[in-house]
Amino acid sequence: MKLTRRGTLSGMAATAAVLAAPMRVRAATGEINVMLFAQPYTQGLRNIAADFEKETGIRANVDVVGQDVFESRINLTFTGGTGEVDVVHVPAIQAQKWREASWIRPVDDYLDALTSRSDLLKGPMDSYLVAGQQWGVPFAAGVGMMAYRKDLLDRVGSGAPDTWADMLAVAKQIHSDDVAAVALRAAPGQGFNMFIFPMFMRAYGGKFFADYVGGDLTPAVNSPENLEALKIYIDLLNNYGPQGVGTFNFPEITASMQNGQVAMTIEGSGVVSLIIDPATSKYADQMGIAVPPGGPAGRSPAIAVHGMGIPASSRNPDGAARFISWATSTETVRKIALNEPFIDFVNGSLARDKDLVTKYGNIQPDLLNVRVAALEQTIGHYRPLLPNWDEIGAAIGENVNGALNGLYSPEDALEAAQDEMEMLASF
Amino acid sequence: MDDKSFAYRAKKASGIAMMLAFLAFAVLPILWVLILSLRPATALFEPIWESPTNLTFDNFRGIADSGFPRALLNSFLTAGIATILSMIVGVPAAFALAKSRLRGKFVASWVLLLLRMAPPVGFVIPLFLIYINAGLIDTYPGLIMAYMTLTLPLVVWSMWTTFAQIPNELIESALMDGASLAKALVLVVIPAARPGVVAAAILGFLIAWNDFFFALIITRGSTVTAPVSIMNFISSDSVDWGSIAVAAICVTLPIIPVMVIANRYIVQSLSGAVKG
Amino acid sequence: MTTKAAGRASAESTRAYRNMLLPALIAVTAFGIVPLMGMFALSLTDYNLIKGSSGHFGLDNFFRLWQDRRFVNSVYVLAALSLLGVAFQVVLGTAVAVGLQKIVPKWKFARSLFLAPYAVPHIAVALVWLSIFTPTLSPINAFFDLFGITVPTMLTSQNGAIAAIVIADTWATYPFVMLLILAALNGISDDLDEASALDGASRIQSFFYITLPLLFPALLMVTLFRFIDTLKHFPLIFVMTKGGPGRSTQATNFYGYVQTFQNSNVSYGAAIAVFLFVFAAIVSFYVARLNVRLTNG
Repeated sequence: MKLTRRGTLSGMAATAAVLAAPMRVRAATGEINVMLFAQPYTQGLRNIAADFEKETGIRANVDVVGQDVFESRINLTFTGGTGEVDVVHVPAIQAQKWREASWIRPVDDYLDALTSRSDLLKGPMDSYLVAGQQWGVPFAAGVGMMAYRKDLLDRVGSGAPDTWADMLAVAKQIHSDDVAAVALRAAPGQGFNMFIFPMFMRAYGGKFFADYVGGDLTPAVNSPENLEALKIYIDLLNNYGPQGVGTFNFPEITASMQNGQVAMTIEGSGVVSLIIDPATSKYADQMGIAVPPGGPAGRSPAIAVHGMGIPASSRNPDGAARFISWATSTETVRKIALNEPFIDFVNGSLARDKDLVTKYGNIQPDLLNVRVAALEQTIGHYRPLLPNWDEIGAAIGENVNGALNGLYSPEDALEAAQDEMEMLASF
Repeated sequence: MDDKSFAYRAKKASGIAMMLAFLAFAVLPILWVLILSLRPATALFEPIWESPTNLTFDNFRGIADSGFPRALLNSFLTAGIATILSMIVGVPAAFALAKSRLRGKFVASWVLLLLRMAPPVGFVIPLFLIYINAGLIDTYPGLIMAYMTLTLPLVVWSMWTTFAQIPNELIESALMDGASLAKALVLVVIPAARPGVVAAAILGFLIAWNDFFFALIITRGSTVTAPVSIMNFISSDSVDWGSIAVAAICVTLPIIPVMVIANRYIVQSLSGAVKG
Repeated sequence: MTTKAAGRASAESTRAYRNMLLPALIAVTAFGIVPLMGMFALSLTDYNLIKGSSGHFGLDNFFRLWQDRRFVNSVYVLAALSLLGVAFQVVLGTAVAVGLQKIVPKWKFARSLFLAPYAVPHIAVALVWLSIFTPTLSPINAFFDLFGITVPTMLTSQNGAIAAIVIADTWATYPFVMLLILAALNGISDDLDEASALDGASRIQSFFYITLPLLFPALLMVTLFRFIDTLKHFPLIFVMTKGGPGRSTQATNFYGYVQTFQNSNVSYGAAIAVFLFVFAAIVSFYVARLNVRLTNG
């Protein structure tokens, strides 16, 4: 073991030495470690991981942890570079950051060998395409979908609202003390309220940056469009939301929809499938689904792509690639979709698979179709794909949440978010 | 007595009412967790009085099949071994602090206390880098050493106050009989300070058992502890309240009998400590 | 015994004492002081997990602290959480201890019940109280709904969220205070109470004028210990509020976590930790001195 005093006592030197130091070597090479966070797919994958060993002789230790636990561990794990992880859960939103930090390696060399490459949808696949290289292989794409109580909306003669303004109008009519009209994610966070709020922004023509696609990354969240979007988001939740909605996250939304305390929500497709499932929801037979509302500037359903990548430090990248190939193969994903409540698959042919159509058709005849319809309207950079988006998204999300809970006005919240984005950009 | 009758009883009653209110505050959340642990997922969100018989052991069965029992065992092992090692190293140190006239005694005690001050958030990064270098990530020795940073100061500090009350004559007479200082400590002083020893061990164990942050950062699949494992019941689609409640019970239950038995010792030993 | 022999004996015992102290100091240095030095070193760099470091050294992180509104905010939040939390814990813990001793001395079993929350790990405490403060799940909300009363939501306002954390923290840690105060009460003779009763003092008067002053050293100790622990607030915030609503419960330690783990700003996170550490060190200096004085008589 090399000790870490090299010249100066700086933490940097210590880190450098640590990075260079010889690492623990795993005994068997016929073994890979897989680190994922809990989702229906990952849990399903863990349950059938023994099949992989049977097929290939490589033992896969699949560790599925809570998302909070994963996020607290992952950066340091990468930094340590011990090669203890061979396959890692890569949310597409993190791919840029992890690439910039050289934590993950490109998987281009392995793409041709992917069992089901041609079946993987292009959109989710391309969300891992950065600087001409592929940094991960997707296994799930959660897309924003609306779930609503048909019985309550029927009563006021309304179908699924098509725009946020329509939704507000319907909310006014159906809101009552017993059943609140609408609940949306409000908890601050890049993956929480900032999964939902951009749907409002984009419907009103708001943007994060002056011209993201063109490469002009001047912050632009304090625009009148975004203010309008924020005001309607606040109006909906504060006046027609259930008690305590100001901290709601997906679990509270799932619970309140399943128990008939709320009439409408827009959630990720994974959550929506739980809300409308008779096995978990008391009001499943009253539930309708639709694509999320839009606005004057169009419609941009939320999207969150999840995939797997290979850490730069992996000692067994070939084994890792074989695992990814097996895990994303249409056959494996099909098995998981049958075992678990999992509709977020990105293997195109599965949407037409007879058994799956039957299984999910029993829950809701048009579930898979609505999901595809929503998916087709998404844009890849729904949340900007930037290395420091974590930080930026969190900063905006915290200000949006503060405005929602009346800590400051919507105007001030957006100005504060703008200031912080400028600070982060200059940093 | 007459003058005691009404006013006295009213005061007594209000005192008892206050104590009952406090007791409710202490116990009702625990009762709530018990209910939560027995409710099926479909009935979680309806009040217990609407369907009092809708109970199930599924949550308990589910958790038996998860990684949680292993995590519970890990917690026991690491907290237990860290406590034992801290006692072995810490008790003599506390004895020296309490009874010697060493120079720099005050500084030594302060250094020990400083460790207890360090916010884990800053502390854990350098610790992680060292651990990576030494191959200690996700190993029992690594976690045990980290826990010793929590337990050792606590053991030294509480034993110090205990030993301070042991009369010097007791030690001197043992030394007169020809025993070495170490022998006097083991054969005479420690038995005399037994309540304090038990109390220190239990408080040390609890603080390691309680840890969330160290385990969050330096464990992976094989040495994960119960407090971190609980968080794994929160997936990105739902929160498994039933399992969380069961896990909370599992992680508390082993401690309760220990606490009850230790209660006596802790009060006994601390009562000396704070008398001065 | 001659003075010479006594001198030799004391030299011997000094060596023996030193040998007893040494292993603990070595262990503390290895496990504690080295990482602690690392923390200080890191706080002087500009190391970022993603961007690496430019090799620059200095106090920049500390100057940045004072201009960082989020940091200043975190100190206010911390002050509110710590002061309120410690106040409630000490008052409740003392009240229960005194009550057990003077009002209901026969409640032997209740003593254990009062201790029970202390056995619950903090992460479980946080989850339990999160469920109680989630309106859709909460038994409290359901109960008051029976009477048509809507219980306000705690976690959506700054004051409410702080109150929620303080309540959970109080629940989990008042038994610690109670234990210490019970111990101290054991050491206070009942004769004093009886004497003051003869003087015609009411029980309440005798508590405030006789018992409380005698409890003072114990109260001071327990207050300082609890205060130091509340500086490290983490699991409750991490689970119950995630720092929200807005940023209104991002206490300093949690903000350090955000900078380190979410923003990868390791050196700045270390600077925040150093700030907390120095503050705690000053407090601990007084605890140490107090302890030396109390134990050496």
